Amino acid sequence: MFFHIVLERNMQLHPPTYFGRNLRENLVAKLMKDVEGTCSGQHGFVVAITGIENIGKGLIRDGTGFVSFPVKYQCVVFRPFKGEILEAVVTMSGDMPNYTTSDGSVKIQKDSEVRLKIIGTRVDATEIFCIGTIKDDFLGVINDPASV
Amino acid sequence: MSGERRENAAELKIGDEFLKAKCLMNCEVSLILEHKFEQLQQMSDDPRNQVSQILSRYQLTEFELCVLGNLCPETVEEAIAMVPSIKVHSYVSER
Repeated sequence: MFFHIVLERNMQLHPPTYFGRNLRENLVAKLMKDVEGTCSGQHGFVVAITGIENIGKGLIRDGTGFVSFPVKYQCVVFRPFKGEILEAVVTMSGDMPNYTTSDGSVKIQKDSEVRLKIIGTRVDATEIFCIGTIKDDFLGVINDPASV
Repeated sequence: MSGERRENAAELKIGDEFLKAKCLMNCEVSLILEHKFEQLQQMSDDPRNQVSQILSRYQLTEFELCVLGNLCPETVEEAIAMVPSIKVHSYVSER
């Protein structure tokens, strides 16, 4: 499921490179570069940052001289849940041949759209992996690209 | 991450944070991403691109588009004086 949520992050900038008129733009650009496309187990994949809610006062760190700004931002995240039912597009079936029913009437291949239920999720450092099933009522192929 | 073992969307056990959060339908996300893509294109440092982006929304010929982009008229009167051929386009008279 996609959510629109507010997240907070401490952005570190090294002066004097970034200070000056463009400080805010630099902070926002760095935020987008650092965060968009990443994934956490808690919030899921950050798909896009849609706005900056607040930038707090910068705090100079002892020793390094870097300045740290707490930034609150709104973003679109994708967070899958066990038990969730959603529709997805097949990107590849791994090494296995395409799935076809015994009478050849229904095929699942690249670009097929399927409705599936997530039965498990696993989080690692950079991604969330999901296992799903189509063996339930109302699940399965929605759209066979070959027939289009 | 043991909290995740107890998650189950079928029972709406998705955690307080997500229960209270705004959900987005796929179509809404699609619109947001399209809008963002347009914004990013406009922000690219290439001025030709930026100007073309905005002016290409109107039914102008390439020639008219470039003359306007070069001269940057500030008012409608000035624009029509610089590029008289744009008078024939209906959107000008609507204004």
